[in-house]
Amino acid sequence: MNPEHAPLIQMKNIEKHFGRVIALAGVSVDVFPGECHCLLGDNGAGKSTFIKTMSGVHKPTNGEILFEGKQMHFADPRDAISAGIATVHQHLAMIPLMSVSRNFFMGNEPVKKIGPMKFFDHDYANKVTMEEMRKMGINLRGPDQAVGTLSGGERQTVAIARAVHFGAKVLILDEPTSALGVRQTANVLATIDKVRKQGVAVVFITHNVRHALAVGDRFTVLNRGQTLGTSQRGQITPDELQDMMAGGQELVALEGSLGGTV
Amino acid sequence: MTSITKKLVLAAAVVAAPFAMATSAVAEGEKYVLVSHAPDSDSWWNTIKNGIALAGDQMGVEVEYRNPPTGDLADMARIIEQAAASGPNGIITTLSDYDVLSGPIRAAVDSGVDVIIMNSGTPDQAREVGALMYVGQPEYDAGYAAGLRAKGDGVGSFLCVNHYISSPSSTERCKGFADGLGVDLGDQMIDSGQDPAEIKNRVLAYLNANPATDAVLTLGPTSADPTLLALDENGMAGDIYFGTFDLGEEIVKGIKAGVINWGIDQQPFLQAYLPVVVLTNYHRYGVLPGNNINSGPGFVTADGLEKVEEFAGEYR
Amino acid sequence: MTSATQPTANSDERVKEISNFRNALIRPELGGIVGTIAVFTFFLLFAFDSGMFNSQGIMNWSQISAQFMIIAVGACLLMIAGEFDLSVGSMIGFAGMLIAIFSVTLGWPVWMAIIVTFVIAVSIGALNGFIVVRTGLPSFIVTLAFLFILRGFAIYLPQTIERKTIIGGVGDAAQGDWLAAVFGGKIFTGFFQWMGDNGIIAVFERGTRKGQPVVEGLPMLIVWAIALVIVGHIILTKTRFGNWIFAAGGDAEAARNSGVPVDKVKILMFMFTAFCATVFATCQVMEFGGAGSDRGVLKEFEAIIAVVIGGALLTGGYGSVIGAGLGALIFGVVQQGLFFAGVESSLFRVFLGVILLGAVILNTYIRRIITGER
Repeated sequence: MNPEHAPLIQMKNIEKHFGRVIALAGVSVDVFPGECHCLLGDNGAGKSTFIKTMSGVHKPTNGEILFEGKQMHFADPRDAISAGIATVHQHLAMIPLMSVSRNFFMGNEPVKKIGPMKFFDHDYANKVTMEEMRKMGINLRGPDQAVGTLSGGERQTVAIARAVHFGAKVLILDEPTSALGVRQTANVLATIDKVRKQGVAVVFITHNVRHALAVGDRFTVLNRGQTLGTSQRGQITPDELQDMMAGGQELVALEGSLGGTV
Repeated sequence: MTSITKKLVLAAAVVAAPFAMATSAVAEGEKYVLVSHAPDSDSWWNTIKNGIALAGDQMGVEVEYRNPPTGDLADMARIIEQAAASGPNGIITTLSDYDVLSGPIRAAVDSGVDVIIMNSGTPDQAREVGALMYVGQPEYDAGYAAGLRAKGDGVGSFLCVNHYISSPSSTERCKGFADGLGVDLGDQMIDSGQDPAEIKNRVLAYLNANPATDAVLTLGPTSADPTLLALDENGMAGDIYFGTFDLGEEIVKGIKAGVINWGIDQQPFLQAYLPVVVLTNYHRYGVLPGNNINSGPGFVTADGLEKVEEFAGEYR
Repeated sequence: MTSATQPTANSDERVKEISNFRNALIRPELGGIVGTIAVFTFFLLFAFDSGMFNSQGIMNWSQISAQFMIIAVGACLLMIAGEFDLSVGSMIGFAGMLIAIFSVTLGWPVWMAIIVTFVIAVSIGALNGFIVVRTGLPSFIVTLAFLFILRGFAIYLPQTIERKTIIGGVGDAAQGDWLAAVFGGKIFTGFFQWMGDNGIIAVFERGTRKGQPVVEGLPMLIVWAIALVIVGHIILTKTRFGNWIFAAGGDAEAARNSGVPVDKVKILMFMFTAFCATVFATCQVMEFGGAGSDRGVLKEFEAIIAVVIGGALLTGGYGSVIGAGLGALIFGVVQQGLFFAGVESSLFRVFLGVILLGAVILNTYIRRIITGER
């Protein structure tokens, strides 16, 4: 997108071995600010391992991670978070029984001091939550509405808005659309678009080519722990992407029998 | 019977329609509350319940039995406070721990409720808390008497199966027995718990480890019944010297069969029945016996078991 | 862009506006408030002139309720944090026994005995929590183990040291001790004397205390209960730590992902539960002047029952300290009130079962409303 910009995060020749299993065999990906970089691949291709490495959950066996040009060694996810790499997980970091506002500020609660005591600043939290949600196009009944009453897409949006509010520079979205209906998916994709326009680098993991093409700027396909290359938007067709993901011929044959609907 | 009907009506009303009005629960005669320290699981106290019920019927007074469900004496103290707050004419209570119970009992006495101590405690303690009298069997003395008797029968060592180890009076019995024998209690007392299977197995284990034990002393049906089974199982029944406190159906059978040499009957019926009679007469006519009443110990042996057998577990 | 992404007045027309009534329903304290009103109405109707509402009667069920409250506050916060502690009852027996052994057998000053006991008890709470967090075992099992371990020590220690299972004499040792008074003392005695003098409450008719009011003052037990409820409520709802408690119990994984120190929160809650149990034990030992091996049997369940009646979910993440306090009040009032109402005391359990069942059904209904499950 912005070639004159330096990449925000560079993953160079990342290898990750679990005992004798080689989950990643030298994967290189870089992500620029304001770009939506889609990471595609079938189940077991190494997507999850890769983003866990990026977000500090796993340490790479080999290879290096450069963040804003500096080499990083994340000891744990908190390091990555404080550097500005936020992950919105498949298992959302949302607690259904708690209110949106409590969820939004979970782990980052604003406090106000009354005498020697520090209290949760509910007024501030409620105000910010309502505002941020409105920006993302979600009208809450109130800040104390429980997250459990939100739809799946809305929950994803709350999670994304929260990550951005707390200064995420790189936002990793792990299969955010996999369990959603059509309209919910559209909501989430629209949210991704908004976030990207704020200059945040988005890493969007999916195995749905159409979702990727809807918002992606660049596409990297992983297969069996290796990259099959990165392509720019407009330089690749949906069919080509699909084939790369499946690792080649088998799907072509399968697709013929299914009438091109996969 | 009216009081039972009333309770049933009230209970039904309570369950079915919490807000419906029911007949008012004003007592006709005097009201007496008996508070025991026994947990729900202790079946021996059934005799006590029957005793006060019978006395209540005969004297035309309202009686109530209360106990801490788990045998927690601190809970029992609260029950005494509560009984006092409900304004009965008298409270009949055990005094199984002086430290815990003396405060509430004294407060009840001072607020105008007459108290009789039954079963546990000592005559001295009863006087100390301001009770009218003590009805029961001094535990240490009973144990001591039993010990002397066993010594005469040639016993030199024993196992005390204590199923209620947290009550000091239980330990007093074992200690009295040991002193009567003239031996040190030492490790001869086991904490058996209340579960029949556990009691049985602990007795088996002890006798297995100490085969030279001369005698077994149990402290009531709760420990005696499983001990009978244990002795049946390891073949010591009838061979080992077996004495027990208190009576019950199985104990009576054991005495009859010659497995149990004697049972110490503290006659719990009297402990429940007499205080109600004494209190009622005191409140109606102002008469009061001049001394404490020892309801036991009486040794029950194979001779003259008939009445005991007929009413075992009910009034005996 | 779909229409749903544009700000509209109603983001989803299928979500009905929630009425005020339903809004009130999702407050966790609601069950407790309704239950309290129902229970008091009931006993005012059936047991008004039975002595239940004279000064002694009120003090009686207040103390019972206060006892439940003290352990319910700890159990409530722990349950909201997603864990159970079944060792509460044994901890009561164990801690009480430690105080008695330290102060009577070893002859330490009572304040020192109390402080050392608190340190030991809270450390055991931390150990409980540490094992649960480290092994990932259900707290149910870990604390069940401690139920036996602590009860075992509560019987073994006095048996070995004093050859008995009840140690008395703490009352004499505690005479004039400053810390003992914090747990076993009474406050506002002047006010109660004044009420007695003016015939507002009854006075003793005879004995050495003739003329003194039957209720001397407000026991510290009740002060502790109220203070713990207030502090617990503020921590839970008004602090960031409270948010972490909800988060840890709502979904530990999600909370961890958001940077909540879940393990620390859980361990601290186990320590707090142990602290509450020790407060209970200390108040009891100071009031009755002695400790017994069988103190506190089954109290862990009574605490959990009070918490559940008070609207907390057994699965964690939802609940209220005020609710737990009201649950304890209901529990205490029902337990004592049935006697005043003249109901056979063995029926108490039937009631408890009915109330518990009703509370759990109500809670499940509430959770469905909150989470929108069908």
